[in-house]
Amino acid sequence: MLAVVVLAVIVWAAQPSGAPTPAERARALAAQLRCPDCESLSAADAQTSSARAIRRDLRARVAEGQSDATIRQAYVERYGEAIVLEPERRGLGLLVWGLPVVMLGAGALGLALAFRRWRRLQRRHATPDDEAIVREARRDGPTL
Amino acid sequence: MRASLGVLGLALGSVSALLGIVVLAWGLRRNDPRFLRLGRRYAFVLLGAAALSVFAMEWALITHDFSIRYVAENNARATPLLFTITGLWAALEGSILLWGLVLGGYLAWMAHRFRNRATDPMVAWAMIVGFVVALFFFALMLGPANPFQTLANPPADGRGPNPLLQNHPLMAFHPPMLYLGYVGMTVPFAFAIAALVTGRLGEGWLAETRRATLVAWGFLTVGIILGAWWSYEVLGWGGYWAWDPVENASLLPWLTATAFIHSVIVQERRGMLRVWNLSLVVATFCLTILGTFITRSGVIDSVHSFTESPIGGWLLGFLAVVTIGSVLLIAWRGDRLRAPGRIDSPVSRESAFLVNNLLFAALAVVVLLGTVYPLLAEALQDRRVSVGEPYFDRMTTPIGIALLFLMAAAPALPWRATSGEVLRRRLLVPAWLGVAVMVVAAVAGIRDLWVLVTFGLAAFAVGGIVRQFALGLRAQRATGTSWWAAPWRTVRGGPRLYGGLVVHLGVVAIAVALAASANLSTKTETRLEVGQSTEVRGYSFTYVRRDVVMTEQKRSVKAQIRIEQGDRDLGTYAPAVSIFPGGMSGIGTPSVRTGILRDIYLTLISAPTDRDRVTIGIAINPMVVWLWIGGALMALGTALALVPKSRRIVGPASPTPRAGSAPPATDTTDAVATMSP
Repeated sequence: MLAVVVLAVIVWAAQPSGAPTPAERARALAAQLRCPDCESLSAADAQTSSARAIRRDLRARVAEGQSDATIRQAYVERYGEAIVLEPERRGLGLLVWGLPVVMLGAGALGLALAFRRWRRLQRRHATPDDEAIVREARRDGPTL
Repeated sequence: MRASLGVLGLALGSVSALLGIVVLAWGLRRNDPRFLRLGRRYAFVLLGAAALSVFAMEWALITHDFSIRYVAENNARATPLLFTITGLWAALEGSILLWGLVLGGYLAWMAHRFRNRATDPMVAWAMIVGFVVALFFFALMLGPANPFQTLANPPADGRGPNPLLQNHPLMAFHPPMLYLGYVGMTVPFAFAIAALVTGRLGEGWLAETRRATLVAWGFLTVGIILGAWWSYEVLGWGGYWAWDPVENASLLPWLTATAFIHSVIVQERRGMLRVWNLSLVVATFCLTILGTFITRSGVIDSVHSFTESPIGGWLLGFLAVVTIGSVLLIAWRGDRLRAPGRIDSPVSRESAFLVNNLLFAALAVVVLLGTVYPLLAEALQDRRVSVGEPYFDRMTTPIGIALLFLMAAAPALPWRATSGEVLRRRLLVPAWLGVAVMVVAAVAGIRDLWVLVTFGLAAFAVGGIVRQFALGLRAQRATGTSWWAAPWRTVRGGPRLYGGLVVHLGVVAIAVALAASANLSTKTETRLEVGQSTEVRGYSFTYVRRDVVMTEQKRSVKAQIRIEQGDRDLGTYAPAVSIFPGGMSGIGTPSVRTGILRDIYLTLISAPTDRDRVTIGIAINPMVVWLWIGGALMALGTALALVPKSRRIVGPASPTPRAGSAPPATDTTDAVATMSP
């Protein structure tokens, strides 16, 4: 019941609320680009004049009907790849994206295996019968 | 005079650290208790020496002694007293001086706390490790990072601190808190190394450093939150966390330390995870050094790296020695570190702690990789790349959500194993509460999936926390305690449990604030003429007038903006731009109207050059104040967890099952789920 309601809300919320407006698109693009004269801020967040110029330019490009990929490409060509705030999805960048996921997966697998081993150990617990046998043997045989 | 006094303090500090090492090592070798008792006393000398140097620096700052280079570069006659005093940590050399003082304080605390066990080799070794760390930092100050370097021709006036560092009183608290956290991690590190060297790898060293670790963790938490607050109030971009390398550097040790204070509980109860816990402690210490390296060597361009200096190589060398040394020690003791323990069921408190650690480790890897990737790409492929919010958000959000779920559910899990029946009884009501909040939020128009899930999990977690408190209070009341005394006595009965739950409550507040402010804020820019108004999300903003304020320190231009909501006047707020002498560009100062549900964040985008026109930025940031409230709750919870447990009070726990002795949780342990033995 609980799961059903949660799922319903998620499905309902995940429904696309129509195509993004030009302003939303421009903002999303700005969030992916670095403000050229800041260190870590995106062009969407920064308040410098260059960031504002980029925001204006992005709005203009979106209004012209350029696709997101075209716009990003134009910026990489003008400013170099350091303008993009994400590691690229190839080469060394793949490591940055993939390593945490791989480690998480490996850790989860390790835990699963450990639990399996622990469960098998559990079955080897001595039963009262086993203990009785050991007691018997100890009483009779020589102790070490 | 002041410079000589300062250098004297540094020399004294180095010598006392060195003597401490030699005397303790000699005592250990000869097995002579007299030397072991003597050795620890050098910690007090070291503290005094560090205090002397800090005193000399503050004296030089307050008297504007520009013959000292550091003072000339970080102070000016016009600098207000508060920022003159905080000048101690305005740049690299002074920060390391503060570091030395804090380290001296922690070492003296160690020496005092373990005064009755000075002859115990474990304590002696821990003191030696502490002295070695101190020696490194004092040598750094005598060598490449000397704060007391003098100038042959002192200037008439100094340059003053970086304008960003003399703009807000939070500067007085954020760096010292952070350092109290950073440096405090030396204590568990010292004991971890001591445990490895002496081979006493049981749970003793954990118990001994538990409080120190918790104290350091609390300070680190507060330091990070204050840093975010400072960023929000000063930098003026409307946010509080930019995934700046320096912010990441403070977050990294916090992540591993948080993993440690959880996984330590598994080792205490089950004797498991010994290598893992040692690794976490070592990693935390290494990450504090890495953080200093990143912050202070200028290796990564960042808003915090105000200075560049040759100490980068020193720090990197020290980091390498510590890392390699620790790994070798752990490998050497490998045979003693194997623990035979096991965990009975994947649905148990122990296993929840394991999953917690997996997630925190993943988070640390994400932050570390994202932070050093630009360095790697530059070093290996000679490319300049950036990693910022899009990467970190995408990677950390799912992990954060998983942690939030775990935080909501795990405290209700019994130790060892559980049954569906127990789970249902403990979690069903909080879970429905979470779902109800989710439905209400969705109906109220929030369509962002992450926000909905976060709100739901937050309510789920709060439900569980309230339930546990209610049960504790009821048990306390049943013993005849009055209503007003019951809460405190409840906490006294299980400080670790209830302190931990209060910390969790703070985390919930922060999670809600993060989700809401990141996804539901509004941000616009508007040009206004005097008398003109604009409307944003039901608030109206009117440009009233321009003010110019001249002080010796700076020249500020302020735009007075009146905020109204319907007919209600919410007051006049004045975002400003300030010009500091010697600074070229203007420094913007936002003006924030803080509210329980939303902040109104005003910035001046272009200074009003002529009298009647101004461009302002208006941001409506929901729930941001809950970040600071959450931080305060986390600090309170940490303090509660440090309260000594009262043996006379009925604890939350009837006998908790020890490993291998009790059957899986039954009804009796339900009311009294405990976090600690």
